[in-house]
Amino acid sequence: MEGMIQDPSQPASQPQQQNQAVVGAERLNQALQQQLNLESVKTRAISLFKAITRILEDFDAYSRTNTTPKWQDILGQYSMVNLELFNIVDEIKKVSKAFVVHPKNVNADNAPILPVMLSSKLLPEMEVEDNLKREQLLLGMQNLPIPSQIDKLKARIDMIAAACESAEKVLADTRKAYCFGSRQGPAILPTLDKGQAAKIQEQENLLRTAVNFGEGLRLPADQKLITPSLPLHLVDIMPATDGVQSFADPSGMYMKNTPLMSNNIGSQGSLLQATGAQLIGRSAASPSAATSATSYDNTTTSPLPYANSPRSATTMMNTPSPQPQTQQLQQQQQHQQQQQQQRQKMMQLPQHQQQLLAQQQFRQSTMQGLGQNQLPLHDLQGQTQQKFQSLHGQMQFSQPLGHQQFQGRQLPPGHVQHGIGQSQLNQGNQLSRHLGQFSSAANTALFNAAQGTPSTQMCLIWDPIQEALWPCSHSHSSSNSSHSSSMVHKLHSVIWALPRIYNLIWQLFKITPILHSKDSRTSSDISATSIDSFVLWMSC
Amino acid sequence: MECVVQGIIETQYVEALEILLQGLCGVNKERLRVHEICLKSGPNLGFVASEVRLLCDLEQSEPTWTVKHVGGALRGAGAEQISVLVRSMVESKASKNVLRLFYALGYKLDHELLRVGITFHFQRGAQITVTVSSVNKMLKLHATDEAVPVTPGIQLVEVTAPATSENYNEVVAAVSSFCEYLAPLLHLSKPGVSTGVVPTAAAAAASLMSDGGGTTL
Repeated sequence: MEGMIQDPSQPASQPQQQNQAVVGAERLNQALQQQLNLESVKTRAISLFKAITRILEDFDAYSRTNTTPKWQDILGQYSMVNLELFNIVDEIKKVSKAFVVHPKNVNADNAPILPVMLSSKLLPEMEVEDNLKREQLLLGMQNLPIPSQIDKLKARIDMIAAACESAEKVLADTRKAYCFGSRQGPAILPTLDKGQAAKIQEQENLLRTAVNFGEGLRLPADQKLITPSLPLHLVDIMPATDGVQSFADPSGMYMKNTPLMSNNIGSQGSLLQATGAQLIGRSAASPSAATSATSYDNTTTSPLPYANSPRSATTMMNTPSPQPQTQQLQQQQQHQQQQQQQRQKMMQLPQHQQQLLAQQQFRQSTMQGLGQNQLPLHDLQGQTQQKFQSLHGQMQFSQPLGHQQFQGRQLPPGHVQHGIGQSQLNQGNQLSRHLGQFSSAANTALFNAAQGTPSTQMCLIWDPIQEALWPCSHSHSSSNSSHSSSMVHKLHSVIWALPRIYNLIWQLFKITPILHSKDSRTSSDISATSIDSFVLWMSC
Repeated sequence: MECVVQGIIETQYVEALEILLQGLCGVNKERLRVHEICLKSGPNLGFVASEVRLLCDLEQSEPTWTVKHVGGALRGAGAEQISVLVRSMVESKASKNVLRLFYALGYKLDHELLRVGITFHFQRGAQITVTVSSVNKMLKLHATDEAVPVTPGIQLVEVTAPATSENYNEVVAAVSSFCEYLAPLLHLSKPGVSTGVVPTAAAAAASLMSDGGGTTL
C-alpha cells in the first residue's frame, strides 16, 4: 500500500491514529532515527529510482529501434529492482511502528480500516496531486458542458479497456504458441516407454554387478593369454617375460589337477605366507609350462647368485663344525615337512631340478616329493604356485634359505620356502641321511664365506628388508654340471646337518638378541656366522 | 567405515551432471583413471576367502597404489531404514610392490576393471567424494589401453564418505542431503539396489546445459 511517512512534528491535522510518537518531541527518537537511518534509505530509494528510470529508458530505446529486447536481461534487472525495493520496504517496516501512514489508495488491505479513519480532508499533498490529475484529465474539456465531458471520459475509458483486452489476448496467444502452458504447475513429465526402461534396467544390473561383484569381468581360463605389452604401471612390477598370466578361477585352481596339485597347492599356500619383504621382487609366476620352461632356461643361463662362488662343492667339504648346522637344518626340515615345497627354489635352480630329476631314479622315496613338485611345473599349466619365478630374484635365493635356517628362531613356521629336499619329503630319516653327507661340506663352505663377509651376511640373514636392498653381489656364472653335483652334495650335507642345527637354534634361542645386533661379537656370533655361511652355501 | 551410495546416469547427461556437481561442490573436478584389481584369497589361506582390492591411480605421472578391503555392511532394522549403505572399509596407500606382495601371499586375481571419469572431493558436513565414471573391462589380462566399457550408454555415479562407528549417523545425514540435490538427474541407492533412470533427467540436463547464465545482476 502506498503510504506517506508522517513526521510527528507536522501540524495537528493529522489522523487520529497517532501512535506512540514521542510526546512533545520535535525530532525523532534518536535510536529510532539511527535504526531508520534515513540517509541510507534515501540513498537507496534514489538509486532504485535511477535503476527503474534506466530500465524504462531501455524500453523506450527498444520500442524506438524495434529491436527484440533481451528478455533475460530485462527480467534480471527487474528482479534486481524488485529485490531492492523489497529490501527497502522491509527496512522501513521495522521502524514503521513509530510512524503513521495515510493510505492514498484503497485496496483490499485498506478497505476495512479506512472507514475508521475519520479524516474529512485529504492530506495537503494528496489534495494537490488530486487537483493536478484532474486538470490533466479534463484538459481540453473544461469548456464543454458536463454531460459531454462525461461522455468523452467514458469513451476514453472504453478505449483503454479495449487496449487492455487486446494485450491480454496477445499474451495468451503467445503463451500457447510457445507452449509455456499455464503459469502454474510443471509440464507433464515424459515417461519412458517400457522397452526403453527394460533395456536400461538390464544395463544397470550389468553395471552394478560388475562393479560390486565383478560379474562379467572375469576372464575365462582359456583366455588367460599373456599380454605381450603390460601397461606402464605394471611393467616394472611384473616382468613381462615371465608373463603375467591371468589365473583361473580360484575354484578352478583348487579343484582341477587335484591329486598332484592338492598337496602342492596346500603346501604352496602355507608356504606363501612368507614375509612380504622377502618376496618383494618376485614376480607373479607364469603358470604355463612353456613359459616356465623358458623361464627355466632364463634362469639357467642367467648367473645365479652363488653359482660360482668360492663356496664350490669341493671347498665346502672342508668346513668344520657341522653339528650345529645340521641340527638347525633338521629343524628347518621339520618345518618344511609341514609346508612343502618352494617353487621359487625350483625356479632359480634349474640345474638342481635336473639333478633332482636324475636323483629320482636313485632315491625314489625321498625325491618323490621333489619329483612331484617338478612334474607339475613342467606339465601342468595355470599353476599359480610358480609365482615366485623371478628374473632378478636371484640374489634373494640365499635369503629364503637364510630365513629358513632361522625360522625356528625368528619367523613363524609358515615362513619361507626352502626348496631343497622338501615338502613332500615326509621321510626325515632319508633326508637326514642325505643331508648328513653334506654337512661338512656345507659347513666348510659357509664358514669360509662367512669369514669373508660376515657383516654382509649378518645383514642379509637377519634383515629381510636389507637383504632385498643389498643383494649379495657375487659374480656368478652358470655351470650346470658342477652346480648339479654340488647341489647333490649340498643336499646330503644339509640333511646331515639338521640335528646339529636344531641344537644350535635351541641354544641361540636363549641368546636371540645378540644375533640381532651386528656389532656384538660374542661367542654366539661364531655360530651365527657359521650359520650364515651355511645359509649362503645353501644358496649356491 | 564408509557410507556409500551408487546410482546410474545415461552417458548423454554426464556433462550436465558435471555442471551440477561443479556448482554444488564448489571444487574443481579431477580426472579419474583407476585400474582396480580385485584379488581373492583361497580357502587355504584362511577360514573364508577374503577379497582385497588394489587401486592404481593412473592419472598421476607416477602411478600410486592403494590397497583397500571392503567388509560387511551394517545390518539390522536401523540399517534398513537408512538409505545409505554403511560398511566397514580399510584403505591404505601402498608401494608399487603391493601386487607382488599379494601374489606372494597367495592371493589370486579374481577380476579387474578400469574406471575412467571424474571425481569431486569436498567437505559438506562430511568429507564426501563423488565419482562419475565409466566402468571398463579388459578383454586381455591387464590390457588397460584396450579396455571397453561394460555398459557403453550408462555410467556409474558413486558417492562415498568415510565414517567411524561414532559419527556415521552424521555422515549418513550429510550424504543423504547431498544426494537430494542430485534428484533431478539421478537416483542414488545402496549398492545392489537398482534404481533405474529418472524421468526428469532429460529436462534437468537441458536446463543445466542451456546458456541460462549471465544475468547481469
